[in-house]
Amino acid sequence: MKKIALATIFILILVTSLVKNSTKGIEDKIFVLNENIRPLKSELGDILLEYNYLSSPDKLTQYQSQFFEKDLIKIDITKIKKLIEKKNYITTSDFIEKTKDE
Amino acid sequence: MSNNKNNVILEEYENEFSYKKSKTNLNIEFNRIAFIFFVFLAISIIYSIQLFHLGSLKVQSEIKPLITKKNYRADIIDRNGNYLVKTVSSIDIGISPLEVIDKKKLLINLKLIFPNKDYKKIEKRLNKNKFFKFKKTISASNYERIMLLGDKSIRSEEKLTRIYPQKNLFSHIIGQIDDDNNGISGLEKSFDKKLKKINEPLKLTVDVDIQFLIREELLRFQKIFEAKGSAAILMNVNNGEILSMVSLPDFNLNKRETIKDVNYINRITKGIYELGSVFKTFTVASGINEGIIEPNTEFLNSKKSIGCGKNYKIKEYDNKMPSDLTVEQILIKSGNVGSVRIIRKVGVEKHRSFLKTIGVLDKIDFDIEEVGKPMPIDWYEGCKIETIAFGHGITTTILQLAKGYSIIANGGYDIKPTLIKKNLDKKDKKKKVLRNNVSKKMNTMLRKVVVEGTAKLANVEGYQVGGKTGTAEQVSNSIYSNTKINTIASIFPTENPKYVLVVMLESTKNNKEYVYEYRDGSGFKLKGSPRNTAGWTSVEAAGKIIDKIGPILATKYIEN
Repeated sequence: MKKIALATIFILILVTSLVKNSTKGIEDKIFVLNENIRPLKSELGDILLEYNYLSSPDKLTQYQSQFFEKDLIKIDITKIKKLIEKKNYITTSDFIEKTKDE
Repeated sequence: MSNNKNNVILEEYENEFSYKKSKTNLNIEFNRIAFIFFVFLAISIIYSIQLFHLGSLKVQSEIKPLITKKNYRADIIDRNGNYLVKTVSSIDIGISPLEVIDKKKLLINLKLIFPNKDYKKIEKRLNKNKFFKFKKTISASNYERIMLLGDKSIRSEEKLTRIYPQKNLFSHIIGQIDDDNNGISGLEKSFDKKLKKINEPLKLTVDVDIQFLIREELLRFQKIFEAKGSAAILMNVNNGEILSMVSLPDFNLNKRETIKDVNYINRITKGIYELGSVFKTFTVASGINEGIIEPNTEFLNSKKSIGCGKNYKIKEYDNKMPSDLTVEQILIKSGNVGSVRIIRKVGVEKHRSFLKTIGVLDKIDFDIEEVGKPMPIDWYEGCKIETIAFGHGITTTILQLAKGYSIIANGGYDIKPTLIKKNLDKKDKKKKVLRNNVSKKMNTMLRKVVVEGTAKLANVEGYQVGGKTGTAEQVSNSIYSNTKINTIASIFPTENPKYVLVVMLESTKNNKEYVYEYRDGSGFKLKGSPRNTAGWTSVEAAGKIIDKIGPILATKYIEN
């Protein structure tokens, strides 16, 4: 009986060691991937910064006045419609419902 | 034989030796298999310990972020992930004249790369034989070109620097840092430690597009009404998230200027003002919350002025004010006498407690440290409570005014204004601080102020705007001056309020050329501002702001 118990413990330890060994391999892979992601993240950050700057409302307004003759117009919310998808067709409805005092 | 008796006893010799197993306390069953197993076990344990040790070491190394990098600070982004602040690495170029082989050749090469520099000065510095900084923060392409020169005298130094792509837009919110990478104002100061520790960007509740549109309109109206400064805040009434907070004048954070002019104060959080009639909303709400008045409660036979204290008289702003008014009409017509009569019914202690509950009396706990402290009030002095009824003799910040209106509009739940985006747990129970139906009654009345009262120019179609105006004389050196603080505190949509927008214009003047377009559907236009009041200045600005930001709020934040 004792032998079986000891053998079980031994097997468990062995299995644990093997599993740990294999996870170490996975951890190594993860580490390598993380290290590869790090510069990409940095690059993405720089590109996003550039994008944020170039697409900032300030810049867009500047481009608008530089390249287009017409002014930007505000959207009238009462003219916005909602698309409602039904089985075979699409209908529209007012985005907002007018109240009595309007 | 002698007397000595020698008795010889012969005994049978018995050998007492017998082989016995040694008996010790350690009774080990020793056999070969067990021994081998023991050795294996010991090796396994040592191996396992080593593995666990290595495992734990790795976890520790993962925790360590970029903290050790000098001058590191986390980025700051808006609620949609747009960069407001980014830490980028930049390269400075220096020259060590002692190591220059051919000065003329070096100068020609540098001139080709950086044609706009003053090379007479650089030549003088080269002759001084002291190391000097040639160019700060150069681009990657120029860095490559300058390094390709292969000159040993050129030294590069990599450093981290803060970039503000939105320039002025968030200057009062973000604040500045000093040369030692310490925050000295705004979020840079209050979140200094956190920004140096965290790896992920700090996410704010603000929206770049909305902030831009509000700032544009404020700048426009500041110019139209020649205001000294202006401010606007847009906040979600249900969770206190601030979508926009603009205070003008502002400054470009990239310039890293030292700001000493007090006109650059953050007018939303730091400036404390007497805001006038916007406080009448609190007077009415206080009475309704106490169950003392209802919107249809009548105050009859009011005179054009009401006495208080020894010789003080509180007058109506408008001499045509009817003598018989309901509470609702008092708010719509912004009656001073009616407000005084309401507050006398409510009483000092109850009203003080109400104002404390909605957070306008004490210094507010906020995400940035530049917060003004409302002036202490001697509640029983002369006409104090009567003047407080219509918003005089009481000061607060625009931020606290927005908070007060939010609580009144959102069903009476306490909120904490915030600039930091948090993952709000829906299970978090909100603390109810006002009685049921106070909000419903107040929202209906505030809507009527916009439809029928002093804030008609903010009645933007489709948004059910409600609100209250306030025109107050500015206190200068403890006396009232002719300059005005014109404010509107608005909520929308009144049916189920989501946002509070407060617009304040400081020290405005009438504009004779500006054309007002009435929003009552008549198409009527009026040239020139008839009066220098909130109704003709900040209300017009608020209306135009809602015109522009409304579609974004209605469509972009439809789920929120």
